[in-house]
Amino acid sequence: MISKIGFMVNPVAGMGGKVGLKGTDGVLKQAIKLGAKPVAPRKAVETIKEFISKYSKKDKIQWFTCSGEMGADELKKVGVTKIEIVYTPTGKDTTSSDTKNACKKFLEKQVDLILFCGGDGTARDIFEIVSTKLPILGIPSGVKMHSGVFGINTSASAKMLHEFVNKHLTIGDAEIMDLDEDRYRKGEWNIKLFGIAKGIVEPTYVQVGKTMFESVSDDEIKDELTEHILDEIEQNSDFLFLFGSGGTIEYITKKLDIKNTLLGIDAVYNKKVLGSDLNEEGILKLLEKYPKAKVILSPIGAQGFILGRGNLQLSPKVIRKIGIDNIIVVSTPSKLASTPVIRVDTGDRKLDQLFAEREFMMIVIGYRLSRVVKIQTNNF
Amino acid sequence: MGEGLIMERNPNAFLKEEYNELVKKNLDWKLRILETGSTPHSVVDGKKVIMLCSNNYLNLSNHPKLIKNAIDAAKKFGAGSGSVRAIAGTMKLHMEVEKRLAKFKGTESSLIYQTGFAANAGLIPQLAGKGDIIISDELNHGSIIDGVRLTKADRAVFKHKDMGELEKALNDADKKYNRILVITDGVFSMDGDIAPMDKIVKLANEYGAMSYVDDAHGEGVIGPDGRGIGAHFGIEGKIDVEMGTFSKAYGVVGGLIAGSQDLVNFAYNKSRTWLLSGSHPPAVAGAQLAAIDVLETEPEHVKKLWDNTNYFKKELKSMGFDTGESETPITPVIVGESSKAKELSNKLYDEGIFALPIVFPMVARDKARIRTMMNAGLTKEDLEFTLDKFEKLGKKLDII
Repeated sequence: MISKIGFMVNPVAGMGGKVGLKGTDGVLKQAIKLGAKPVAPRKAVETIKEFISKYSKKDKIQWFTCSGEMGADELKKVGVTKIEIVYTPTGKDTTSSDTKNACKKFLEKQVDLILFCGGDGTARDIFEIVSTKLPILGIPSGVKMHSGVFGINTSASAKMLHEFVNKHLTIGDAEIMDLDEDRYRKGEWNIKLFGIAKGIVEPTYVQVGKTMFESVSDDEIKDELTEHILDEIEQNSDFLFLFGSGGTIEYITKKLDIKNTLLGIDAVYNKKVLGSDLNEEGILKLLEKYPKAKVILSPIGAQGFILGRGNLQLSPKVIRKIGIDNIIVVSTPSKLASTPVIRVDTGDRKLDQLFAEREFMMIVIGYRLSRVVKIQTNNF
Repeated sequence: MGEGLIMERNPNAFLKEEYNELVKKNLDWKLRILETGSTPHSVVDGKKVIMLCSNNYLNLSNHPKLIKNAIDAAKKFGAGSGSVRAIAGTMKLHMEVEKRLAKFKGTESSLIYQTGFAANAGLIPQLAGKGDIIISDELNHGSIIDGVRLTKADRAVFKHKDMGELEKALNDADKKYNRILVITDGVFSMDGDIAPMDKIVKLANEYGAMSYVDDAHGEGVIGPDGRGIGAHFGIEGKIDVEMGTFSKAYGVVGGLIAGSQDLVNFAYNKSRTWLLSGSHPPAVAGAQLAAIDVLETEPEHVKKLWDNTNYFKKELKSMGFDTGESETPITPVIVGESSKAKELSNKLYDEGIFALPIVFPMVARDKARIRTMMNAGLTKEDLEFTLDKFEKLGKKLDII
């Protein structure tokens, strides 16, 4: 079977990094003036080259791409000439609207996967157009790469492409995360969760025969997690439950018939929603009334953060009030396969240290089933 | 449903459909037929091969003493036992095996189950229930997993042999649960590595947890005279439950547990698999007894197994093969992609060597392998022949 891959490079992605900018979104001219050099085309070439030399003898791919540096040049450089150009950027320097327009074309061509080279900004632009209609795989090349769609390096991305084409990998949730521009202008560095895209993930297998395994869908695992959380809620009926964000938690709350804000924090008591999309103040207020609380989190993004990315509402003050022992982390095994450690960055050194001292955390990966996972904090 | 209506549901249709699906995916078992006994040189599907995938490590299934004892017991006590152990199927012979086995393993008592699977699936669910937790190595064998599935206990998994993670899981469980059961394979059957049982028992003791080891591939193989994992680490009688099998190195069939008298009393009163299946025929018990005899009096078999193993491993390594972390007669020959492992296995068979490929997801995608199991009955010439084929094919397939 031939796989249709939509391939796109954001040639200016990653240029801000070496000159100390947060990215190139909106500040390309400044970056060039500061001496920034293109990074993405080189990373894209690296990836495709590795893919071709290692895997492509067997993998059949129909390439759809954009003209010039937005894809065609890179493919030609490594000898891929049978390509269909679906989009040509309008101006000299590519912009976010070029990314989006290219994605529209990929949708029209019904590609199986969008492979792009860029950073969080590029991922966001792609997600804006394709939403969850197509899986996305990123070749990391930006300044910020918090989103869950990236391979950890170019080799990993090449391998993932190969595994996807051979149907070894399946489609799962991948968070789109990026710097919160509004807060950044006020001088705060806050990584916000923008949405849950489709990425490609390692399936979960269960042994059914002696050497026979069946892959279990993410939804089946999430059903088990839901059962688990339901037990928790029933066994702790005097507790306030705070639900974090991300695809896994959204699924659980939906199943429990709790109206949940996908990207925010919601509070539930006795299965009734007491607050949606709460900010820090709102959470603290509820905690005064309901001092016994548990918070349900799931690792999000490429690095597996449970605190400090995409959920600053859960401030150090909130976490201290709830207590580390009352944090329940749930995750599908496939998510843990791509983020074998979970990370915490509360912005509060002393609180981070409390996590660091634990070294490990029990993560719920199925009904009444947990596994030990290492905790990593930024400062320790 | 009214009369004359044709039932539209075909109750048996799924049998064929699901089987065909397996065949289509090439996941069905294609049974290989042995025309000989399980001997170092067997005839498999009409072809004479060197057997590298039986668990008959010591070649005891062909030992004259075992065969003779089996025949004698059958002649004396009949072909079957007539009942389950609990009612009228416990013979003096069964009791004798249990007594001798406990002595051999350095434990207070022991109990024989119908199979190893029956031991795990019957006992584990009785050891932990609601409000308890079972902490398990991520690579534990399927029969442990099934035993664990039958309980209402919570379950936690730690990274393979990672004592830091085990301690964390114990620490976490300590506050939340009543009983804690730590369960591990002794010898892991895919890699041939050994669980750090001394450390596991020490940690379990610190946290008041029960320790349980499935030593199926260690019985008759590791420890002085093949007395198993307890003897291997010098902690005989300190592991709460030593579970094993007579079907591998002992050369017969049957599951076993060894431990305290309290454990045995509890186990035979509570294990449904033990209570509800017929006991072993006298011939089986007779052979089991002879197997223990042989292990106690003829140390040459275990020694030969290890001599063969060490030589085979050393030569494979010097040829450039990756044999992983193995510390036992299970030697994986890691070749990379699944297709390569299958190809090597097929070619080996053509050359007269029977060794099965183990592929993803049994093992990591890039760690597909041929799993070889050494046998004390193989001669130096057999090993030279085998190594020669491995070298030739390894080069041909670009593995070394």
